[in-house]
Amino acid sequence: MRIGLPRALLFHHYGECWSSFLSDLGFEPVISENTTGDTVIRGTVVADNEACLPVKVFAGHLLELSELSDAILVPRVVSQQRGMKACPKYLGLPDLARSMDSAMPPVLAPVMDLGATWNRWAREWYEIAVKLGVGAEKASHAVRKMVSSLRAGITETVEPTPSDFRVGVAGHLYNVHDHRVSLGLLDRIREMGAEPLTVEQVPRRLVRRELKALPRKIKWEFENRIVGAVLHWNRAGDVAGVIYLNSFACGPGSMIGALIDDELSREGSVPLMTITLDEHSGETGMVTRIEAFLDMLRRSRIDTAPGARDKRGGGGE
Amino acid sequence: MRLAVPRMGNLALIIRDLAVRFDLDYVETPPFSENTVRIGAALAPEFACLPLKAVLGNFVEVVENGADTLVTSGGHGPCRFGYYSEIQRRILEREGVEFRMLVLEPITTSLRAFYNSLRELIPREKASLPALFRELKQALDKMVAFDVLDKRAMALRGLEVVPGAVDAALAEARGMMIGAFTAKEIREARCEAEARLRGVRVDTSRSHLKIGIVGEIFVVLEPFFNFDIERWLGRRGAVVERATSISDRIYPRGRHPVFGYDEDSVAAAARPFLNHKIGGDGLLSVGATVIYARRGFDAVVHLLPFTCMPEVIAKGILGRVSSESGLPVLSLSIDEQTGRAGVETRLEALMDLAWSNRRAKERSAEMGVVR
Repeated sequence: MRIGLPRALLFHHYGECWSSFLSDLGFEPVISENTTGDTVIRGTVVADNEACLPVKVFAGHLLELSELSDAILVPRVVSQQRGMKACPKYLGLPDLARSMDSAMPPVLAPVMDLGATWNRWAREWYEIAVKLGVGAEKASHAVRKMVSSLRAGITETVEPTPSDFRVGVAGHLYNVHDHRVSLGLLDRIREMGAEPLTVEQVPRRLVRRELKALPRKIKWEFENRIVGAVLHWNRAGDVAGVIYLNSFACGPGSMIGALIDDELSREGSVPLMTITLDEHSGETGMVTRIEAFLDMLRRSRIDTAPGARDKRGGGGE
Repeated sequence: MRLAVPRMGNLALIIRDLAVRFDLDYVETPPFSENTVRIGAALAPEFACLPLKAVLGNFVEVVENGADTLVTSGGHGPCRFGYYSEIQRRILEREGVEFRMLVLEPITTSLRAFYNSLRELIPREKASLPALFRELKQALDKMVAFDVLDKRAMALRGLEVVPGAVDAALAEARGMMIGAFTAKEIREARCEAEARLRGVRVDTSRSHLKIGIVGEIFVVLEPFFNFDIERWLGRRGAVVERATSISDRIYPRGRHPVFGYDEDSVAAAARPFLNHKIGGDGLLSVGATVIYARRGFDAVVHLLPFTCMPEVIAKGILGRVSSESGLPVLSLSIDEQTGRAGVETRLEALMDLAWSNRRAKERSAEMGVVR
């Protein structure tokens, strides 16, 4: 039996755990290909027109899988950490998937609630496995293995490559690491001679420290990460500037966008640029903006570097 | 301390009541206007939803009118409403507005936080704990009465014999309620007020559409933003019912005294289509639509602010509810640029569709009899 896994949204966080769970059960996980322009177009057609870009991309992946698999796994992620809430789209995602296309294979929607103790939600995974004809022992083994791998933490902190010109790229993993959705933002920045630093490269410890200073707690797990990382970059001076990558109609994104904007508008903060993506975003427009932003950062570095005035000499400008 | 509370439907009536009960110094929040929205939209983040922008505009206006303490509600759900207060505070401070913001956390988040911030508004000298509890309970009963009057009026407006009779009766009925403060007074006033509405002459033989309204609470309750949809539909002979009200939202233990279906039965109705809470009023929108379909309504209007997180998900799911139940559902997303004409055209189309469905049903029923 082939079970589809859309390469979208939280797949970028938990995909490995989910697909090894499926192989442990003896199923063949079918993971959709990387997002292409076609995925976005097809997704935009079936998804609700007001949904945010990642949901439309998710819809495109679903359509791709509907022909290739016998069932599709769309876990309902209720929370990613204790005391945290998920964005409504994760809570309703399986139901949304079911209402997108009536010709779709059945959607398997076990609850995943990392904020609660695992025995409160792991049973749903077990029941689904048993319903699909897996033996009880094999199923419980697979579930336990998945729970422990989820609890061990998924995104390892990748050591940033050394560079003296770094730019922080703050945004959801599913946007930043999707080459089509982000229009190749990370590669573009590298091509232009800067080193992008992403949110998951900031250790959780530092993120937590920054978040303590906020007067009101943010309840969305990933947004927490983004805000904490940006505040850390700003305080530590790790980066020359920050690019905040947001998707159009993203609810939490609009709130933390305003928050980051407010925090980084204080004296002595690093420059911030916000890029909003939707299905119509074109590469050229974005490249021009990144170029301009990086040029500005370079120039301000030269201006503020020690001895800059001597180097420039008398009336060179 | 001169306080002010943002506007939302009948909330203004109950704030006036609380101000009398606890002798609060407060500034009446002006009704929403184009100016409010303009101020709010200019200051707020571009992709924030309409309620944030509108309330922000409201705050600027009340501070100009002399308020110094802005009371607002917190929250802990998946909806971004819980983070409003922080963003609004930062924006207003950046603009150099002088104020203090008092965030009332919902009881479900933290009873202590709720109690402490409530005590800042109503100090112990003004009301002991039992008195506070009693007065709040009475205010809640009064709130329910106001919402029930609204519900009755919506059910009658489409059938009234004399145009405007229901609205005149509603205004009188509300007037009866406003002066009631003790439990006994409220009970009696409610009977009297409901009797006043019952006294309106209606023509029950007139064939009419039944239309349900579901959606996000702010745009559903604020006539300025939904273009007074209840009256608009009522004037065109439709009997209207609304699934959302303030009392239902704040009533303890998930009971919905106004809508009549408690949280559990709404969730049960929604289950085949949406099997989890999605924050805000999302689950209620889906569940209430299913309930309306079962009760034989002719159409449902789903109102949401543009980019509203829970309601956009609900909107995607309502498409399936509609196609499986045959109940037409019109989702209207509203922002500061929504125009009256566009909304009314779509509502007219919805009513036409509902009428033609009705006639088709009647025709097939007749043919069934002939056969």
